[in-house]
Amino acid sequence: MIKNYLTLALKVLRRKPFYTFISLFGISFTLMILMLVTSMGDALFGAHKPVSDLDQLVYTPFIERYTEFYDTTYTVDTIVMDDGALRFDSLQSVEPNGSMNNSNGPMSFHFLDEHMRDFENVDSYTFFSDASHIDAYLDGRKVSLNTYYADAGYWQVFDFDFIHGLPFGPDDVEQGNKVAVITDRAARNYFGEVSAAVVGSEMELGSERFRVVGIVERPLIDDRTVRGDIFLPVTTIDNRQYTSTEMYGPFQAVFKATAPGKRESIKQQIEFLADNFEMPPESDYENIRFRPGTYVEIFAGSTVMENDYDKAKLMLFIPVAVLLFLFLALPLLNLINLNISRVYERKSEIAVRKAFGADSRDILYQFIFENLVLTFIGGLIGLALAVLVIKYVNANDLLGIVRLSFSVQNFFYFLLVILLFGLFSGLLPAYRMSRTNIGTALR
Amino acid sequence: MIELQNISKSYRTDTIETLALQHMNLSVPAGEFLSIMGPSGCGKSTLLNIMGLIDEPTEGRVALAGKEVTNYNGSKVARFRNEQLGFIFQSFHLINDLSVVDNVELPLLYRRVSGKERRRLALEALERVGLSNRANHFPTQLSGGQKQRVAIARAIVGRPNIILADEPTGNLDSHMGDEIMDILTRLNQELGTTIVMVTHDERMAKKTHRLVRLSDGERVS
Ligand SMILES: Nc1ncnc2c1ncn2[C@@H]1O[C@H](COP(=O)(O)OP(=O)(O)OP(=O)(O)O)[C@@H](O)[C@H]1O
Ligand SMILES: [Mg+2]
Repeated sequence: MIKNYLTLALKVLRRKPFYTFISLFGISFTLMILMLVTSMGDALFGAHKPVSDLDQLVYTPFIERYTEFYDTTYTVDTIVMDDGALRFDSLQSVEPNGSMNNSNGPMSFHFLDEHMRDFENVDSYTFFSDASHIDAYLDGRKVSLNTYYADAGYWQVFDFDFIHGLPFGPDDVEQGNKVAVITDRAARNYFGEVSAAVVGSEMELGSERFRVVGIVERPLIDDRTVRGDIFLPVTTIDNRQYTSTEMYGPFQAVFKATAPGKRESIKQQIEFLADNFEMPPESDYENIRFRPGTYVEIFAGSTVMENDYDKAKLMLFIPVAVLLFLFLALPLLNLINLNISRVYERKSEIAVRKAFGADSRDILYQFIFENLVLTFIGGLIGLALAVLVIKYVNANDLLGIVRLSFSVQNFFYFLLVILLFGLFSGLLPAYRMSRTNIGTALR
Repeated sequence: MIELQNISKSYRTDTIETLALQHMNLSVPAGEFLSIMGPSGCGKSTLLNIMGLIDEPTEGRVALAGKEVTNYNGSKVARFRNEQLGFIFQSFHLINDLSVVDNVELPLLYRRVSGKERRRLALEALERVGLSNRANHFPTQLSGGQKQRVAIARAIVGRPNIILADEPTGNLDSHMGDEIMDILTRLNQELGTTIVMVTHDERMAKKTHRLVRLSDGERVS
């Protein structure tokens, strides 16, 4: 019986090339877009090495110093008493008038060292600087390297894949050892190879020599906290920067909470620090704050330039969601419309089939199978399209170093959604048609 | 075999109510070849539709093979239509998306028949109406008479006990018309198929066992 329905479906679809083409186009295009968007979403906001614990991280990229200005308002009510004497009621209110002096930027190591070491619910944390570029020299050849100065905690917060060697440890940091972890790309650029022999070799960085202790895989994600070519112990940074007692400096902090749910607690502790911070008397500003956030919050905040992260997320994701919805609604509505009109167009076919012995179930099965066959073929085409587009994007670096990946699970999930759409849009009218009077349908 | 008791059928539209059949009584015993005649619009097709269980009477009682029909959407009625009834529609009602042979196979699709056997029976039925050379054409590629013959092949392919034919020779020349009449007569004589045929042709009606005349939804003879 199933074979009957299947061959019947194929026959009918072959006879209606235009309808079939439009349906297949709608299904495969919708699938491809969905796959592409989720793949991009995953590449941007998903957890990938070396940021596998993305959902536990709290980023504190900068400190903000500010002074708010207040308006003081005196309100005076005058009341004339029975005896003719005047009485005065006065009210004083002080409210921020919206204007403010502020300045922000990353922090000094000293500041972080002094204030941000003792938070609770922290599994590990790191203070690091991503701001330096160092020119390395080899045989007179210059290689410019994006340099990160980091503490030993950096290798706990981020789980880099070490191809050779190991990260530097607390002892190296404490003793200011001139050791370096470099990426495979940096190794290739500087040493011309990525091999165990590179570990232990020396590099000439500026005027100093560093010994390579580890080679990591360069992360293919667009995350500013892990994008270095070379990582050096924080103690090897220019001594003035290391010991500076200014608030500002080149450093930022990332905390890994013991669990995703504990991130809120870390944020609150950071905010508590800001609220109870005693400003040095000579400061131009009265208060500080940090705006710690999750990866998504920081991303949204910096994309739409909004410091209130909840607002920023709405401002960024609502338009994206609406656009995406519209983009998907069009082919899907088209599919539904096509399905419905197609069923009504075949009213007399349904009636004829019933006249020759098809019961309502037979009619329903027939439409289900046509839908299944369409979705299956459309799914295959969509699959091929999605794979091709993803390959193309990756091969041509269309998203910079970000690499898109194909999620089989998502693919089947979306296929199911489209199938349900197709079934609901085709089945309901088919069901109604299958119950209409044959005689009237055949006039 | 077919029992119609006091059947009335009215069609209601927004403006008027048409009485297509009024208090019709008719019984067709098994094995009879009955013809129905009457002027256009007198209710012949309506009567045939009611006998074929594809239209419900507004009033009255329909019994087929001794059983009264009540639920027109049930699978029992579907089964009955499939196994006992073969319909030849006045305007053919072939499925344009399917080839001629697929159209003829249609009644067998809802039975337990293998694909191969289905094809064999369909080609055999097409052979009987002289259309085996058009098996892989599509209905839109056929003439009116050819369509009519496909419709006949479809009606006889499942060897039903009852054939309801609405002007089966209406679009055919007299030669082809005679051939179709021969086919129907032979089915009636050899297999004992009950046949009810609407016709405008006195000559055809004369070849049947009995003639019923309608006028304005009523039996006049
Ligand atoms: N669905 C309908 N709605 C309204 N009126 C209808 C409907 N179907 C048939 N009628 C009316 O019922 C009457 C009988 O129609 P029917 O088709 O049975 O006539 P007929 O005898 O088969 O005519 P013909 O010889 O032209 O085929 C006609 O007056 C027709 O207008
Ligand atoms: Mg008629």
